[in-house]
Amino acid sequence: MIGSLSFLNDVIDYWPQILAGLGNTMLLAGIITLTGLIGGVLVFYLSLSPHRQLRRATEAYISFFIGTPLIVLLFLMYYGLPQWGIHLTPLMVAVIGFTMNVAAYNSRYLKSAYNGIIQCELEAAHAQGFSNLQVFRLITLPQALRMAVPGLTNQAILNLKDTSVAFLIQYTEFFAQMQELAARNFQYFKVYLLAGLVYLALVSLVLLAARQLQRRLPQVY
Amino acid sequence: MILQVRQLTKEFDGKAVLRGVDLDLAEGQVKVIMGPSGCGKSTLLRCINRLIEPTAGKVLFRGEDVLRAEADVRALRQQIGFVFQQFALYRHLSALDNVTLGLRKLRGMHAREANEKAMHELQRMNMAEHAHKYPAHLSGGQKQRVAIARALAMDPAVLFFDEPTSALDPLMSREVISVINQLYMDNITMLCVTHDMFLAKYIADQVLFLDAGVVRAEGSAEELFSGHSDPRIREFFIHEHHS
Repeated sequence: MIGSLSFLNDVIDYWPQILAGLGNTMLLAGIITLTGLIGGVLVFYLSLSPHRQLRRATEAYISFFIGTPLIVLLFLMYYGLPQWGIHLTPLMVAVIGFTMNVAAYNSRYLKSAYNGIIQCELEAAHAQGFSNLQVFRLITLPQALRMAVPGLTNQAILNLKDTSVAFLIQYTEFFAQMQELAARNFQYFKVYLLAGLVYLALVSLVLLAARQLQRRLPQVY
Repeated sequence: MILQVRQLTKEFDGKAVLRGVDLDLAEGQVKVIMGPSGCGKSTLLRCINRLIEPTAGKVLFRGEDVLRAEADVRALRQQIGFVFQQFALYRHLSALDNVTLGLRKLRGMHAREANEKAMHELQRMNMAEHAHKYPAHLSGGQKQRVAIARALAMDPAVLFFDEPTSALDPLMSREVISVINQLYMDNITMLCVTHDMFLAKYIADQVLFLDAGVVRAEGSAEELFSGHSDPRIREFFIHEHHS
């Protein structure tokens, strides 16, 4: 009982830092979910290009970023680039690194969804006189996004959890703060259990939002 | 003459699918293209609006050569309404939005104006009461009627039909035939690929029999369907009649 009260006191004392870390986690997760989605749409668009070279380059991009551990990319930019005189803040490195990685995954989800689109709809759109970009914007993308909601939701959850990796490049997000707290009071089990519960709560919020979104979308298939 | 096709050829990997097809379509005329599966009927339609690039030949649309490199393909396509065998409605859009999409994005109409025009066309197809339904909630015949409304809404110079009743059961097929027959009465220029002799009899001013990429015969439905002198054509229509 006394141990629990003392742990609670530690958490309350350290609350401003925890809150700041939580804010940084949500900021990074929010940014990379958005930029990763935009990047994913762009990569997906390029992957449908009529130019074979462009399609190959896009495929190489996707394979590279899916095949390379994110931490390598982050270290490369954070510790490697300064050797070339390029200094980026931890947030910038995290945003760029995560975006490139998440965009590769998101484009894959969209491409899988695209395979479910009936090709004659695209032919009909071309026959109506729409340009390639209009066909993509008006027919392909709305359908692919809708069908990719489960995959994109999973990615948003992964984004949230993976932000903890950013603490290795000095980005003081939630997990970094929790580790600091554990180093202060030596209550490793309780601190990390609490960290896990907070992540679980955040993930549950994302899931609830995704479920709401899916419920609001009309059943069209 | 709305459409003049001369010596149109299409090869896929060296295999000729169309071998010098000639075709004329006058304003208000309805021409039906028939022939065995794989004879190049659908390819012919797609070559005319350049969904498929022909290998050689000439296509004049209202006297303008549309196969030349600098031709405005999108402008050409906007003048040709295309109705597909598999309906090809945009599944994420309601029937109404399927019809308004082209009006808003290609014709630049305001939403209200586009809605009015679309509702008029849906009404014409007896589909107004289903305007807010998604394609998944419509029957095959209803989907095809929406697809026709979508094509008509763009006020095309000519309507192309690619086997409009092939994916439908006989009842729905009659439903669509009666709609197409109404268009015939309204003097709409149409080029229709079909296996349906019933549909051809109803609407064809002329039937063109395509076989292995060449026009084998051209004449009225009556001439072609009842004991043509060419045994190949006679056999085809006897078989179609019984199928």
